[in-house]
Amino acid sequence: MIVSKNLSKQFGEFEALKNVSFEIEQGEIVGFLGQNGAGKTTLMRILTAYLPSSSGQAFVGGEDVSLNPLAVHKKIGYLPETPPLYPNMTVKAYLRFAAQLKDVGVKFQKAQVEHVLEECRLEDVQNQVIGTLSRGYKQRVGIAQAIVHEPEVIILDEPTNGLDPIQILHVRELIRKLEHKRTVIVSTHILSEIEQLAKRVLIIKKGEIVVDSNLEKFLIPDDRKQIFVKVKGEEFHIEQAVKDTNSVKQINIEFLGEDIYELHLENTNNVAHYGELVQNFIKYGIKVIEIKEKKGTLEEAFLKINK
Amino acid sequence: MKKIFAIANKELSGYFRSPIAYVVLIVAVTVFNVFFFMIIDENQEATLRDVFKVMEFLFVFIVPILTMKVFAEEKQLGTMEFLMTTPTTHMQIVLGKYLGTLVFFTLIMCWTLPYYGIIKFFSHPDTMTMMTGYIGIWLEGAFFIAVGLMVSSWTRSQIVSAILSYVLLFFLYFASALVKYTGGFFQSIIKYLDVMGHTQNFIVGLLSSSDAIYFISGIVFCLVMTRISIDTRIWDNI
Repeated sequence: MIVSKNLSKQFGEFEALKNVSFEIEQGEIVGFLGQNGAGKTTLMRILTAYLPSSSGQAFVGGEDVSLNPLAVHKKIGYLPETPPLYPNMTVKAYLRFAAQLKDVGVKFQKAQVEHVLEECRLEDVQNQVIGTLSRGYKQRVGIAQAIVHEPEVIILDEPTNGLDPIQILHVRELIRKLEHKRTVIVSTHILSEIEQLAKRVLIIKKGEIVVDSNLEKFLIPDDRKQIFVKVKGEEFHIEQAVKDTNSVKQINIEFLGEDIYELHLENTNNVAHYGELVQNFIKYGIKVIEIKEKKGTLEEAFLKINK
Repeated sequence: MKKIFAIANKELSGYFRSPIAYVVLIVAVTVFNVFFFMIIDENQEATLRDVFKVMEFLFVFIVPILTMKVFAEEKQLGTMEFLMTTPTTHMQIVLGKYLGTLVFFTLIMCWTLPYYGIIKFFSHPDTMTMMTGYIGIWLEGAFFIAVGLMVSSWTRSQIVSAILSYVLLFFLYFASALVKYTGGFFQSIIKYLDVMGHTQNFIVGLLSSSDAIYFISGIVFCLVMTRISIDTRIWDNI
């Protein structure tokens, strides 16, 4: 759906993007993650054919963004970092204007505007002047504008920037609703947002893609899994049971009271199940209360990459 | 075409949602009325010749106020990015905005039409001369708007846009005063650029193709320059 081949962008001496290449399939939800100034917005602007690239090519739905920008604009719904709104217009008039410019047929404009008003939960404010709305509402009007022509691809640049927690929840919920039918790219510097929204993450650092990975795989490095097990029994038996299990190594044991211990183990053999461990616990008459895997957080991974 | 009208409509209704437009409308019409009364009272002639002169002088001040926001505001609000990522060509954006401003300007002009009725009621004016006079100053206004639009496409700041437009329009308006300080080829260019000379012919009832070509080519030139500055996103680079 979206292909980027060796995209580079220079602003004078400054190299904003260096040889960026990736492919995004239809229906994927991809998060662009990076610090402020890493090149996320520049990349999005090139994909939406707003900015020309200095070298390299980009395709959206098979159309070259530099050769056929109008065809690309038809396929894309784009929400820039600051929602592009006219403060003097009413929400409805603005969405109508957006529909007119985005080639929605005259007959369908009214229905389509009503549809997005409902989808973005804007019915209550449809006749209100945009300048009087709260930031959360403005952001939703921005999203409504992006989807009014039913685009195949939606590109959202920092959609939750500057919102309060409840507004953030509303916007995220809205983005999750979009994903069913469309390819979505979301950029953010908020790590937890990517975890909640995207299934794949592209990390951009100083204009280069340093990570392109499935989010699940990225968060759990395959070779080392940390496991926390809560068990009830005698300490001696517990340690013996762990020793008998080949696939784990004991790192720490902590007494929680009333014969309950928390074990910190490391999965050394890279097996995905803990059958052997549980069997050994049962053999020694130990009750297993809880087993949990500690996943790496995006924060840890991000900090490691940005060191 | 539909998109040009959609943008023109948005532009025009934008004028009526902002207080500046009403101020411009009221001030312009009031000043026109005062001068109309004074000039007719003084000259005792059944002609709008001198009224037209006052009007064209005022255009130098009015037009920058009308055009300063056209592109500068879009860039300030970030809506330029919205317009430019819709499937709309840059020429459609330019023409839509030009049309919207031109219609608002024409509405201001319409407020002066009763002058003809008043003169007609009391006297026997030369209708044809008055008509060519209206065509002349309308073309002049249309040209000034194109200049203002072009300047507005260069910058993010409405103030810079207004001041630069004033400078350019003053130059076009007072170019004849510079003629005597120049010589040779340069002098003939300045003479040709002088807007008053071309409008003057219309006002006295002379319709010539060279004057019409001056205005129309001026408008086309400015609109093409506007399009080029949008194509190259000149405001990001200067």
